[in-house]
Amino acid sequence: MADSASTGTVQDGTGVIMEEFSYDDAIVRKFLFATVIWGTVGMLVGLLIALQMADPRFNLGLSFTSFGRLRPLHTNAVIFAFAGNAFFCGAYYSTQRLLKARMFSDALSKFHFWGWQAIIVAAAVTLPLGLTQAKEYAELEWPIDLAIAVVWVAFAINFIGTMIRRRERHLYVAIWFYIASIVTVAVLHIFNNLSVPAGAFKSYSLYAGVQDAFMQWWYGHNAVAFFLTTPFLGLMYYFMPKAAGGPVFSYRLSILHFWSLVFLYIWAGPHHLHYTALPEWASTVGMLFSVMLWAPSWGGMINGLLTLRGAWQKVVDDPILKFFVVGITAYGMSTFEGPMLSIKSVNALAHYTDWIIAHVHTGALGWNGFMTFGMIYWLLPRIFQTKLFSKKLAELHFWIGTFGIILYVVAIYSAGVTQGLMWRAFDATGRLTYPDFVETVTRLIPMYWTRVAGGSLFIVGMLLFSYNILRTWQSRPARYDVPVVKAPRLTPVHREDGPKAAPIAGLLPAAVHRSWERKPILFTVLTALTVIVASLFEIIPTFLIKSNVPTIASVTPYTPLELYGRDIYIREGCVNCHSQMIRPLRYETERYGEYSKPGESVYEHPFLWGSRRIGPDLAREGGKYPNLWHVRHFANPQEIAANSIMPSYPQFATTPIPWAVIPKRVDAMAMLGVPYGEAINNAEAMARTQAAAIAADIEASGGPAGLEDREIVAIIAYMQRLGRDISAPTAVALVGDGEQP
Amino acid sequence: MSDKDRLIEHEYDGIQEYDNPMPRWWVIAFWATIVFSVAYALNLGGIGTGPGRIAEYETDMAAWRAAYPQETPVLSAEALLAVAAEPTSVAAGQAVYEVNCVACHAADGGGGIGPNLTDAFWIHGGAITDLYVVITEGVLAKGMPPWGRTLAAEDVAAVTSYVWSLYGTTPAAPKDPEGDPVER
Repeated sequence: MADSASTGTVQDGTGVIMEEFSYDDAIVRKFLFATVIWGTVGMLVGLLIALQMADPRFNLGLSFTSFGRLRPLHTNAVIFAFAGNAFFCGAYYSTQRLLKARMFSDALSKFHFWGWQAIIVAAAVTLPLGLTQAKEYAELEWPIDLAIAVVWVAFAINFIGTMIRRRERHLYVAIWFYIASIVTVAVLHIFNNLSVPAGAFKSYSLYAGVQDAFMQWWYGHNAVAFFLTTPFLGLMYYFMPKAAGGPVFSYRLSILHFWSLVFLYIWAGPHHLHYTALPEWASTVGMLFSVMLWAPSWGGMINGLLTLRGAWQKVVDDPILKFFVVGITAYGMSTFEGPMLSIKSVNALAHYTDWIIAHVHTGALGWNGFMTFGMIYWLLPRIFQTKLFSKKLAELHFWIGTFGIILYVVAIYSAGVTQGLMWRAFDATGRLTYPDFVETVTRLIPMYWTRVAGGSLFIVGMLLFSYNILRTWQSRPARYDVPVVKAPRLTPVHREDGPKAAPIAGLLPAAVHRSWERKPILFTVLTALTVIVASLFEIIPTFLIKSNVPTIASVTPYTPLELYGRDIYIREGCVNCHSQMIRPLRYETERYGEYSKPGESVYEHPFLWGSRRIGPDLAREGGKYPNLWHVRHFANPQEIAANSIMPSYPQFATTPIPWAVIPKRVDAMAMLGVPYGEAINNAEAMARTQAAAIAADIEASGGPAGLEDREIVAIIAYMQRLGRDISAPTAVALVGDGEQP
Repeated sequence: MSDKDRLIEHEYDGIQEYDNPMPRWWVIAFWATIVFSVAYALNLGGIGTGPGRIAEYETDMAAWRAAYPQETPVLSAEALLAVAAEPTSVAAGQAVYEVNCVACHAADGGGGIGPNLTDAFWIHGGAITDLYVVITEGVLAKGMPPWGRTLAAEDVAAVTSYVWSLYGTTPAAPKDPEGDPVER
């Protein structure tokens, strides 16, 4: 491969064979540019959706710019495009130097780079088109998921190959974190995205209801862990001591916090599902492992910040260290807050509110953003082999960015707590103080504008950053110098160079861990076993214990028309603003009706419980309003509720239903075990009959005529079905009841 | 911390590590969370899941129902007509109407999604007691919400009196009559 091609050997005076090689910094430069470009795009989309929450006119009246479709684009862009490319940029730079080896294969490096960028482009096209699996941070449809798996495996091979060819005997802690990230992301991605395709860009999750929710948050929480935390801890362990010029505080702490973090994190996901239909034991386990995760997380913060001991004066005039200090502090704050939010009583208030949005932005803007900025400012003079264009601009970037983060999170923490408290307020007569949901939204609008201001400042910082990079890049040399590095080849027999470190926690002799650090394959296998075994401890009982999901006899599958209506709901990203999960809490059941039961979700491929209530819960929406109400409300929500921030969907009344796809969707559901019976052979005719009945009712109540082949009747059919199966079938007499298979 | 800041011999690309012990407070915090978790899982000393979220919910609901028997009082036609005769309660009812009812029945009562409230035609009866019952209990099949759940009893009576007062007014865009004519 390229490495061997450029490698020469020389013998030094003592007979040790020295190998000559060079590092591939071209790939680092590529990833750096991708980080900045996609970061800017992702943040601008974030700004647009922040504006949409402050004023719904920013939905621009176009289906592909509505909040429900753009919110996943924002999250995917900042997580996988911005933070992802930043991780690859820093990892390709540091791995080669920490292992004293060029990347295993330049071709694989390039494939990784271009493959990843192609995936991002595919995401940027498909998400606004409404092609989504409706699972948070796993929205991308199955063909893109396959591409992600292939590219990730290429990265893994390249990385492991480099470890095998290394010239540094032991693996440094940064490499451990990279290993954990690469292995775990692969496992999470594959198992959460298993699905049955129902078309080129349409699929249904293999899992349903409770199990799907469990898998999703096992994935979702660990995407935060192994895509936004462990990669950046690895980067911190390299770039922080490099920038600070001092040793890392404690090797023993590195070992303990690495293994405890990797082991404990994987259990924590179910804390996203407190008070939902997930069995309580599972969410309790999630909470307890989250609480135990506090100290291991702070181990990383301590090792990062204490690397600066005796060097704090350097922070005063070094913007890079400033970014790192604020970044690591933000990590410390959000990893204290995370365990706190996982405590059930705190979670009852915070869940579904902006509090969670504030929490993730402390992490994303502070930790991921600022670590990336610091790292890139450090890299710029080194990989472009010139001076940084302007240190002053970098300082300004730091201060604007910091102020932006503070403004953003303070506003959104206030919004979250305000709305959470309004939802649960009862007046002196024992009734909800704010029964009208919109009232709890209107109160937040000033905070949403403040968030827009804070986010804009952060983006101004990002633009200063881009300009600084551009100008630095312009002053690069005509040809990059490629220094030749010399290092001795590893000898097969290792003479222990004497680890003098004390045992870890009095248990694990440092020499044992030291021996693992010499064996990259063993280290990788141990890491994989840690996450897989921990996962299975939760996954197996969730899937196998029957009493987790008591059957409800009256719950039947959606009719073909309702199923298509549900697909519209998925396409428009309604789940990004509306939950379908009423918690067993008095203020929830008073507002929305009977709490949701696990047995109600058994045909929900994928589950649509949601995680945020920008609008009200819809779990019991069926029968709440007449069909005509929905016709008017979809066309113009502000006509029904003047202060609503919901986008309008007038196109539902004009878009024809593609009848031919309905049987395919029913077939895919049947393949997943949904008992469709007769409906399999009759799906289209059943759908047409139900559509005609709803259209007739709309016309009879004074609404427009001729809707029987329009999408509006499908989404209304779905809306009117929601949450009605558990009550006696005679309770509500809406059209279409006779159509259930 | 006796062996403070002893460097370990190895280095990686120039990065060195100390063999410092873990900070004592950190170790204590870690153990504290582990002890808490075990105690919580076993429900020791009153922390933990206890009877579980469903049992807790039912206890909470029972206590609340006992404290606030939510039934909107049954009012006689005489009582309701007496309320309707009070201009202040009609005005109060108008305020309730403007917040909650205009989306379906229009600001002037002419109807839209819901029926016209100004004409002599009524789907569920035209007596003032019928109005009061429909507003309180709703008509699920028609999408009329049960306002007795969210509005205070006096607000339900007030909005009833306001709707009662709309009879015979002339809305801008009246919806076609629905239901049966009722003499007043």
